[in-house]
Amino acid sequence: MVKFLSFFLLLSISLDASEFDKNCFDCHSKDFKFHIIMNKYTLKFSSEKRIKEAMFDYLKSPSLDKSILPLEYIQKFGLKEKSPLDDKTLREMIDIYYEKFNLKSKLY
Amino acid sequence: MYRGEKKSIFYVLGLYLSSTLLLITTIFVSYYYYERDLFEHGEKDLLKKHTFLLTQQLSALNENSSERYKYPRFDEFESAIYDIDKNLIFSSSKDIDIANVKDNFFTKESNSYLLSPLTPYYFGAAFIIIEKKSKNLYILDNLIFIALITIVITLVTSIFLVNLVLKPIRDNIKLLDNFIKDTTHELNTPITAILANIETIDSSSCDEKALRKLQRIKIASQSISNIYEDLVYLLLNHKTSTQNVVLNLREMLHQRVEYFTNMATVKNISFILDAKEDIHFKADKKKMQRLIDNLLSNAIKYSYKSTNIRVVLNETSLSIEDKGKGMSEQEVKKIFTRYLRFDKSQGGFGMGYSIIESIVDEYKMKIDIVSKETQGTKVTLSW
Repeated sequence: MVKFLSFFLLLSISLDASEFDKNCFDCHSKDFKFHIIMNKYTLKFSSEKRIKEAMFDYLKSPSLDKSILPLEYIQKFGLKEKSPLDDKTLREMIDIYYEKFNLKSKLY
Repeated sequence: MYRGEKKSIFYVLGLYLSSTLLLITTIFVSYYYYERDLFEHGEKDLLKKHTFLLTQQLSALNENSSERYKYPRFDEFESAIYDIDKNLIFSSSKDIDIANVKDNFFTKESNSYLLSPLTPYYFGAAFIIIEKKSKNLYILDNLIFIALITIVITLVTSIFLVNLVLKPIRDNIKLLDNFIKDTTHELNTPITAILANIETIDSSSCDEKALRKLQRIKIASQSISNIYEDLVYLLLNHKTSTQNVVLNLREMLHQRVEYFTNMATVKNISFILDAKEDIHFKADKKKMQRLIDNLLSNAIKYSYKSTNIRVVLNETSLSIEDKGKGMSEQEVKKIFTRYLRFDKSQGGFGMGYSIIESIVDEYKMKIDIVSKETQGTKVTLSW
């Protein structure tokens, strides 16, 4: 039973990871500074709920007001395009992203 | 100690002590709160410094990019950080819980806590709670000790002050008592001589006019004699040798009523004596006589002319009722105060009821005075 559960867990993690790779690394290259973006969101929105909500809101309809990046950066590279993912998938991807990069879990 | 002196001492002591205690309490409570505020202020300042230190360290830590971050820990205090929705991010102590925090600063179980907001949210931290062992405010025990000493000193000084205040009153009463004592002593011989001589005068050798004059002299002498007896009783401070014997109150009443008949006749007052049965009561004869004499002489003194004084004796009580000017409720309340006279037009020293009270108390009787102004007074002794 334990072996079965462990196997199932590993499978689901690897599937989640591959989903994240597929949906996110399509646009962002491997050297994208995910942790810097998480740091900026954390500095501005504090709690998990608010961070995830702000990310979802921005990815669904990106705007200058909602962006946490410096104005100079946006002027140089432009605003991100609207995410093609459906709401459910987008929320799942945000959850995975938060799990992987949140600062709270890195504190010891 | 004179009558009423104890009461005065209690009043003055009570007033002095209560006002002093009120003052001491006010000063001490104010001082305690002042010290507590000062203490809290100091604690708060220290906690603010710790918060600033932690904020600096969190900021520095946030600048670094790393896979793992070691939360800043300090020997002097413990800390915890919470996100904007008050979810715990990290805590160095198990005791800290934001749910228990009601004020920004508070103390609990010898710890001081300070809750401070934080921006920007390093590691998501919107609130920092600092916990530190607080110094104890030990002044309360000392204050209670000092308060007790102050109360003792106040008590001693107040007793001294009361004695100082009462000294002139005591001296005056002593002077008055001495004066009465001397006067009484000087009165003894002439009164005895007058009464003895009146009794020995052969009334058959006097004409009617002379007889009337003699009668008046006799009544006046009896009045003086009564006052003399009262004074002697008071001056000896009720310490006359008591010889309690079984007295026949009916006989005694008859004797005393007869004794006072002459005096009553002057105002055309007559006695109605209702004492048919022999009533026996164990008491000192002189004291019982003083008691009855005072009640009868008071009744005569305050009766209207041409009225009756009703004297009723039964198994458990003796009542004397006059039809006279009576007393108000206030006057009845103060009736046992020595030297107090409500009607200055009447003779006497205001000692009658004081004597009555002392004898009534001695023989555990109950005295009941019912009086109505302009209608009369009824005094009932019951045993």
